[in-house]
Amino acid sequence: MKLSDKNKNLLGLTARIIAGTIFIYAGFLKATAPSEEFAFAIEAYEAFPPFIVTIASLSMPWIEIYLGVFLIFGLFTRISSIVMGLFFIFFELLILSAIMRGLPLADCGCFGSAHSNSATFELFQNLVILCFVFLAYKFGEKFSMDNWLKNKSIEKTK
Amino acid sequence: MKQEILRKIFIGAGLIFLSTFIVMFIRHLDVLSHREAPEFRILGNKNAKIHIEEFTDFACPACTGAHKIIHKLFKAFKGDIKVSFKHYPLLSLHQWSMHAAAYADCAGQQDKFWDYADLLFENREEWGFTEKLPKEAFKTYAKKLNLNIDKFDACMNNPETMKTVKMDMAEGKMLEINATPSFFVNKKRAVGARQLIDKVRKFEYLRRKK
Repeated sequence: MKLSDKNKNLLGLTARIIAGTIFIYAGFLKATAPSEEFAFAIEAYEAFPPFIVTIASLSMPWIEIYLGVFLIFGLFTRISSIVMGLFFIFFELLILSAIMRGLPLADCGCFGSAHSNSATFELFQNLVILCFVFLAYKFGEKFSMDNWLKNKSIEKTK
Repeated sequence: MKQEILRKIFIGAGLIFLSTFIVMFIRHLDVLSHREAPEFRILGNKNAKIHIEEFTDFACPACTGAHKIIHKLFKAFKGDIKVSFKHYPLLSLHQWSMHAAAYADCAGQQDKFWDYADLLFENREEWGFTEKLPKEAFKTYAKKLNLNIDKFDACMNNPETMKTVKMDMAEGKMLEINATPSFFVNKKRAVGARQLIDKVRKFEYLRRKK
């Protein structure tokens, strides 16, 4: 089945909104909770030195919020979705390594401490979100601020 | 092209500023930092008009006194008061307090949190200042309360237990607690037993209101 351009664009927009909202939600939960909560979740992976844990627990929530906002508005759409995708791949590898090492993860820390899903569930959930990020990357340019600004500058040069 | 990029950067900076402002504003509202203690750490009427959140360290002497005041207040108000117990071990002063908190939560899993807490406060000098982790003392208190020791041990080995204690500590840090015992009486801060009594008196009129 071949998708028309219009449908592709709509799919891209929907994917952008879904992936962006998820990222904003995940970041918001962490940014409004004590940073120690998220730090505790990162510590559980036993993969980073303490200073990285501190830096990540303070910065990740904001990075997630900003990327989510950029993706929803369609600003730096390509770059945002690539960075987001890389983050998700990294999260997937991290969760997978924790499962393989048999670490007793209480929760993955993906949505702060408010939601405590099993690592396996989060692994699957992240894969689904990664698909949305891919769709946002592939078809998300049309109804975006990037496109609007591009058209505006073309109009100006005419 | 250059102008297009500049515009993007400008709008991006605006969006970053706006989203930061919104999140910081919500944080400032302080609606998300108070969270419910587990059921077994709540004493009294859940719909009471006076709600005391107690941030305590089991090894701190002032907390022992304040804990007795809490019991007295509870009796005076005939149970028409809600007390939520939160752990706030001061690890720089009392190295085993966090473990004590976790053990108390494990007793709570068997509905004996408050009895176990009383024992910890009463015997704080026995377990609080030992060189090695006083596991035996903690188990002796559990046996005194006829707790199932296998369940008690299993609970201690569960990472969720320590996590719950750490979450309380994180919440306390976010609320900028620097001394124990600290209380929040209907979200108004009180440090120490005297301030607690004063604050409770201030809110006493709420009980008479229907």
